[in-house]
Amino acid sequence: MADTGLLIFVRRGMGQVLPYLIAVVAAFAVVGVVIALLGADVLEAYRTLLFTAFRSPNSFVQTLLKFVPLLLQALAFTVPLAAGKFNIGGEGQMIVGAIGAAAVGILLADLPPLLLLPLVLLAGVLFGALWTLLPAWLLYRFGINEILTTVLMNFVSFSLIDYVATEIWRDPAAGHPTTIPIGLGGELPLLLTSPKLHSGLLLALLVAVAIYFYVDKSTAGYELVATGANPRAARVYGISVRWLFLFSLLLGGAIAGLSGAIEVSGVHHRLIEGLQSNFLLLGIIIGLIAKGNHLAVPFVAFFIAVLEVGANAMQRTLTIPGEMVFIVEALILIFVLLSDRVRRA
Amino acid sequence: MSDFLLQMRGIHKRFGLVTALDNVDLTVRPGEILGLLGGNGAGKTTLMNVLFGLYQADAGAILVQGQSAAIRGPKDALTHGIGMVHQHFLQVNDFTVLENIVLGSPLRNWPRLQLATARQRVQELAQRFGLAVDPDAPLADLSMGVRQRVEILKALYRDARLLILDEPTTMLTPQEVDTLFQSLRLMVAQGVSVIFITHKLREVLAVCDRITVLRNGRSVLTLARETATDSALVQAMVGDALDVEASLVFTGERRGPPRPVVGDAAPLLVATGVTISDDLQLPAITDCSFAIGVGEILGLAGVAGNGQRELAEGLLGIRPLVQGQVTLAGQPVRLGQTAHLLANGVAYIPEARMADGFLPRASVAHNLILGQHRQPPHSNGRWLNWRQIVARARQQIGEFNIKTPGPHAIGANLSGGNIQRVLLARAFARPLKLLVAHNPTQGLDLPSIEFVYQKILAQRATGMATLLISENLDELFLLCDRLAVLYRGRIMGILDRDHFDAYTVGSLMSGAHSPGQQQEAGHG
Repeated sequence: MADTGLLIFVRRGMGQVLPYLIAVVAAFAVVGVVIALLGADVLEAYRTLLFTAFRSPNSFVQTLLKFVPLLLQALAFTVPLAAGKFNIGGEGQMIVGAIGAAAVGILLADLPPLLLLPLVLLAGVLFGALWTLLPAWLLYRFGINEILTTVLMNFVSFSLIDYVATEIWRDPAAGHPTTIPIGLGGELPLLLTSPKLHSGLLLALLVAVAIYFYVDKSTAGYELVATGANPRAARVYGISVRWLFLFSLLLGGAIAGLSGAIEVSGVHHRLIEGLQSNFLLLGIIIGLIAKGNHLAVPFVAFFIAVLEVGANAMQRTLTIPGEMVFIVEALILIFVLLSDRVRRA
Repeated sequence: MSDFLLQMRGIHKRFGLVTALDNVDLTVRPGEILGLLGGNGAGKTTLMNVLFGLYQADAGAILVQGQSAAIRGPKDALTHGIGMVHQHFLQVNDFTVLENIVLGSPLRNWPRLQLATARQRVQELAQRFGLAVDPDAPLADLSMGVRQRVEILKALYRDARLLILDEPTTMLTPQEVDTLFQSLRLMVAQGVSVIFITHKLREVLAVCDRITVLRNGRSVLTLARETATDSALVQAMVGDALDVEASLVFTGERRGPPRPVVGDAAPLLVATGVTISDDLQLPAITDCSFAIGVGEILGLAGVAGNGQRELAEGLLGIRPLVQGQVTLAGQPVRLGQTAHLLANGVAYIPEARMADGFLPRASVAHNLILGQHRQPPHSNGRWLNWRQIVARARQQIGEFNIKTPGPHAIGANLSGGNIQRVLLARAFARPLKLLVAHNPTQGLDLPSIEFVYQKILAQRATGMATLLISENLDELFLLCDRLAVLYRGRIMGILDRDHFDAYTVGSLMSGAHSPGQQQEAGHG
C-alpha cells in the first residue's frame, strides 16, 4: 500500500517535472546552435553555464547571493498572481524597501544589533508594502489596472533612490551614487565568513515556506486561490475579493521590500543605486516558469541563479555575451508554456 | 426516393475520444413536423449542426430530395433550402426587425439600401404563416417570442423548405408556445417541413407528425404520432437508467411526505418591499414581498432576465438592497454576510454556473468546498484539512456521478453538465435550512434531474425552505408548494398549488395583471 502510494506520488511528480526537463533541453539545444554560429565551443559553454556555480565555494556562495533576491522577487510576483493580480512593481518596492532599511540603519546607527537589525528589516518590509499602497488602493477603490500603476511606481522609485543617494546621505568618497554605510548593528550576521554568506538566505527560505503554507494550506490562502480562479464566483460565495486584491498586492510589496532590506543589510551595508539589478524581470520569469506553484518557485529560482552565475563566467572565459543566458531563460519559459498547450491539445 | 425531403444516413461524428453521433439515420417527409427527442447530450444539436453545415460528419450521407448534398457550411445548407433557428439567437439589437431579416442577403444598396420589396415579402410571409411582427420595430424592445418569429422569418425569407428549430420553447410563455405551434401547422400545411428539437415529451406529442428519439448519439426509435405513447418514448430516451414508473419526472406526481403545514410556524425567509439594482444601477427588482415557510418550496417563474439573478443575490447579501428588508429566521440579512449565511445552512446554486459558481482554474476539490472552506470537516477555520477534503470530494464525485479523473483534476476540463453536478454536490453536502436554486437542473440528463428532485424533496421533508427559480414550468409545477411569478422585476402574483395552471402563469409571466387567485404576499 505504502509502495503503490509512493509510486503514484513519484509518477505524478514525474508528470509535472518532465515538461520542465524537455523545455530546458530544448532551450539549450536552440542556444547551442546560436553559440556554435558564434564560433565558440558549445559543450564548453554548456559546462560553464551549468556547473560554474558548483565549481568553487566562492561561486556557490555567489549563486546563493543571487538566489535570495531572485526568490523574493519571484514571490512578490506570484503571491498577487494567486489572486489573479499582476505585480510588476517589484523593483520599485525593492528600491523603496532598501531606502527604508538604509534610512533606519543610518539614522539609528548607534542602536545595538538586537534592536537595529529587526528595525532595518522591518523598515524594508513596511516601505515595500507602503509603495504598493497607492496602486492597491487605486485598484480597490476605482478598479484601476494594477499592471500599469505598479510599473509606473518603479519609475518614481528610480528618482527617489537617486535623490537619497546623491543628496541626503551621499557618500562623497564613492564614485557612484551611494549613501554612507548603515550602523554595524544593522548588518545581517554572516553564516560563512570566507567567502561571505549572510543569513538573509535563511530569511528568504523562511518566507518561501511561510508563503507556501499560507497559499496552499490555509483557508485564507484558499480564498486567495479562489479569487484568482474566478473573482465573480468567489464573491458570490462570500469571499471579499476586493480586499484580497488589496492584501495580496501589499503582501507582494512587503516581500519585495524585504529583498531590498536584505541587499542593504546583508550585501552592500549601504544604499547603492542600481541594487535592483534585473531581479524584477527574472523574478517574473521564475514565477511564470513555476506557473505560480509555490512549491516549485524556490527550485526554479535556484536554477536561474545557477544560470546567471554561469553566464558571468561564460562571458569572462569564452567571451560569449552573458546576454545569451536571457535567451536560455526566455526559451525555457516559452517551451514550458508551449508544453502546456501541447498537453492540452 | 423523393418520398423524403431529407435523408440522413449513417451519420458518424467524433470529438476527440467522444463519439457524439454513431450511425444515426433520420428522414423528413415534405410537409411534416419531425420531433427530434432526447435528453441532454443525446446528440440532437450535434446532428442538426451537421445538417446545417456547422460540423462536418466523419462518415455518412445527406440526401436532399433524393440527391446527395455536400453541406460544408450554412451557406450550402441554405442553398439546399435548409434553415435553422438556434436556441440562442444571433441578432443585432440596434437594427429593426426588417433589417435583421435581410441582413446578409443580397440587396441593392446604391445609392441607399432598397428595402421596399424586402418589406413587402416579409409582410407577405408573416401573413401567410401567422408570424405577426412589425417590420420597423427596433429589435431591442421585443419579447423573446417575437424575436423567435424574426429568426423563423429570416429562414423563410431565404426560401427554407426545411426549418430546424433547436429547443424553441425554452424561452417562451405557454401562450407564446401555442402561437408558435399554430404557425408551425400553417407552415407544414403549405409544404414547409420542420425539425423540432426538444427534450419535452408533451410538446412532441402536441405538435409532431413523427418522432425520432436519440440516445447516446444513436437513433433508437422512430414512431408516427398515432402509435407513440408516453412510456415508449420515455423508455427510448432514458434506456434502463431510470425506473420510469416510480419516477417523479414522468409520473408528474410528487410523492414522499405530504406538504408540511407552514401556516402556523413563523416563516424562515421574509422579504419585505425589496428593491434591487442590476450591474448598471438600473432597477432590476422593484418592491417585492414574499415569505418562505419552513419546509416549503416557493417557486419563482418568469422569462429569463426579469430580475431573477438580482433577487437571488439580494436575498443572500451578495448584492445591496436599495430598499426593503430581508430577514432569515428573524435576523436581518445584511450586505456582505454571505459567508456567514453559507456557513449556517444556506446554499445557493447560481444560474450562470460558469460565471457565478465555478472556479475553472482550480481543482474539482477546490470547487467542491467553495463557500464551506472555513467549516469543518474541510478546515478548522485557519488551516485546510486536505485529507478530508479529498476524501469527501471522492465521495461526492461518486454520489453525484461527476465525470472527472479525480478530485485534483482542473475544473476547466469538466463539461457543462458535470459543472452543474459540482454545484449541486456542493449545495447538498450538508443539511440545509434554506436553498436558493436558479435553474438547478439545466444541462442534466433525466436520471440526474430525477436525482436532484429527490434531493430537494428529501431535504424539504426535514424542514428546508427553498426558493426555486426556474424557467421550466413543468419543474415548478412538480416541486413547488406555491408559485410566484416575476415580470420586469415585480411579483405579479403568488399562486397556491391548487391554482397552478400554465395559462394563468403564462399570462402573469407576460405582465398581465392579477387573475382571481392572486393572494396577498405572505405565507400559506
